[in-house]
Amino acid sequence: MQVRKTNYLVNATPTFEVLTEDEIEAIYFSALTVLYETGVRVYEKEGVELAYSGGAIVEDTTEDSSLVKMPPWMVDKALATLPRKVVLVGPDRKYRMELYKNQIYFGTGSDTPFTLDPYTGERRRATYQDVKNFARLAEALPNIDFHMSLGIVQDTAVGTYDRWQYLAMLEGTNKPINITAVDLEGVRDQLEMAHIRVGGEEEWKKGPIFSLYIEPVSPLSHSKEVVQKLLFACDHDIPSVYTPCPLAGATAPTTLAGTAVQALTESLFGIVLSQLRKPGSSLIIGGLMSNMDMRTTVYCYGSPEMALLSAAYTQVTEWLGVPMYETAGCSDAKLFDEQAAMEAAINIATSALVGGNMIHDVGYLEQGLTSSMEMMVASDEIVDMVKRILRGIPVTDETMALDVMDEVGPGGQYLDHDHTYSRFKTEIWRPKLIDRRNWENWELAGSKTYQERVHERVIEILEAETEPLLDEAMYKELRRVCELADARHKDEELDLEMFM
Amino acid sequence: MSRIYERLSTCVIEGDSEKAPRLVQNALDQGEAPKDVLDNGLVVGMGEVGARFKRGDMFVPEVLMSADAMQAGLEVLRPLLTATGVEMVGKIVLGTVKGDLHDIGKNLVGMMCEGAGFEVINLGFNVDPEKFIEAIKEQQPNIVGMSALLTTTMRAMWHTIRAIEEAGLREQVKIMVGGAPVDAAFAERIGADGYGSNAPAAVDLAKQLVGAA
Repeated sequence: MQVRKTNYLVNATPTFEVLTEDEIEAIYFSALTVLYETGVRVYEKEGVELAYSGGAIVEDTTEDSSLVKMPPWMVDKALATLPRKVVLVGPDRKYRMELYKNQIYFGTGSDTPFTLDPYTGERRRATYQDVKNFARLAEALPNIDFHMSLGIVQDTAVGTYDRWQYLAMLEGTNKPINITAVDLEGVRDQLEMAHIRVGGEEEWKKGPIFSLYIEPVSPLSHSKEVVQKLLFACDHDIPSVYTPCPLAGATAPTTLAGTAVQALTESLFGIVLSQLRKPGSSLIIGGLMSNMDMRTTVYCYGSPEMALLSAAYTQVTEWLGVPMYETAGCSDAKLFDEQAAMEAAINIATSALVGGNMIHDVGYLEQGLTSSMEMMVASDEIVDMVKRILRGIPVTDETMALDVMDEVGPGGQYLDHDHTYSRFKTEIWRPKLIDRRNWENWELAGSKTYQERVHERVIEILEAETEPLLDEAMYKELRRVCELADARHKDEELDLEMFM
Repeated sequence: MSRIYERLSTCVIEGDSEKAPRLVQNALDQGEAPKDVLDNGLVVGMGEVGARFKRGDMFVPEVLMSADAMQAGLEVLRPLLTATGVEMVGKIVLGTVKGDLHDIGKNLVGMMCEGAGFEVINLGFNVDPEKFIEAIKEQQPNIVGMSALLTTTMRAMWHTIRAIEEAGLREQVKIMVGGAPVDAAFAERIGADGYGSNAPAAVDLAKQLVGAA
């Protein structure tokens, strides 16, 4: 393990590596072995047939699935047409992400069943209004580059909540969004909404405003919905985030190298299938690899192993030239407390230093079961701090400032020097919520803890007057897609009152 | 005779599946009653495993090894127990509901319940309501356990309970549910008898439901 500098002349970015190139290659070539020898189970006939027609071996076909084995050449062929760069934009194109190499972008996580109420602190099921509020927070926070819902809308029908969730997010933010979908129909409806939002399919093609989160099931299983979503995304120019969540020790080998190999195998299947369906289809792979806590059986979101796996996998994907979906800004703590801040700081720093592209799950607590606005606001500041570290120390004649030193001389001072005046704002990072006052002034300002200051910032953003992002006509048109979906599913019993 | 029981319970704690059947056979050869071998040997060992797990002195993979050892010992005892009319703690039918392929948590519950002396029939994942009903009819379990990881598939728990009601079988089984997005309030709402927040909690719940806690 080492910390070294790359791109030295360009931007002096410190980077972090946990694998050597030999180790990266070993992981990749091992994944090819698993894909060819062990194979993956595919629960969608169309996907199986597509793989077969592309050269895969299909065995052990049962009523609902087949074992699919892909020889290494299929992966080589797929990688040749897989875009090395993926661009996502916001509806008004002000926000833009260029995902490639070590360009880093941070964003939130999605679909937590629970959220912490910002006013009462109560842990409860998330609603439409919560999801909209989280999106407004994303809009306001400068270091959130893309958004995911941070809550499952549970005050609408269960089978169609994804459309409402997307509407809530569009109401709150103009940043690129990574959506989830209940099923294929949910993707179709949300794509229709996105087309409406940007003014047609042609506009979408100029820059998609969402990517689609697709999660194969570890170990080595690709469900019906997963394959259907992937194929649909290829057909309609939707970038897919094809990201398994292997759990070291439970749904993947307990050794982290084995978990990385398995995760890569799972994503490589997605890569091959997407390129068979439509060469040039965009994929971002990742993303959440962690360990099971063997005492509590939970999926750890704040463990050092998660940060380490995320870092290792980022190196593998960068070596492969595939955009990466990383994980950070999350914790196993139940509230936004010291543990939450500590775990988020460590995993944010690690993910940024290693340079993954789309770093998600900012705002997650309790293993991704609960979302927190405080966690999101605090993480925004942690990201800001880490970005300063990433800017490194450019070493030039000007920055070494020998002439200034000579001018000031022994015993002098730099405070009123032009060199300080013109450079301190860019050279020295200034915190927003971190407090650096002395005791007396801190006391005068109300003796507030970091938690209290973060909470106040949350409320400040929530209560700020903002212009609606959707005009009345647009809102109505988008809402109509949601209502039509509800109408189509109105016969599904029990749904509406399942949670609330 | 306590020496053989001590060795047997230690063997369970150490998770030695090869030694357990031999020790059970030794005990039987020495004239111990099958029920005593179960209660004084295997169950004592598993009880200690449970206590250590709760204290944080043992971890899931070790508990599962112990459960395996207990099962291996039980294989020898089971025919004798059945012959003498001794019943297991209870019988559980388990499955991840329709539409959901996630089954690691449910399997963990199954293995730990076996460790606690239950007979477990694991129906796997993507189990539709009809299959649960069939299993209730065939297996006559005390408990049906259902798991889901997705909010969309949580619906299937509800649908399954409904189907069990409609089949007229609801009264003869207790139903317990679990899975990451599930909570006690939801369990109550859909008419389940209980909710286990994790595998050890599910074991405690199962024991309660059969009155063995």
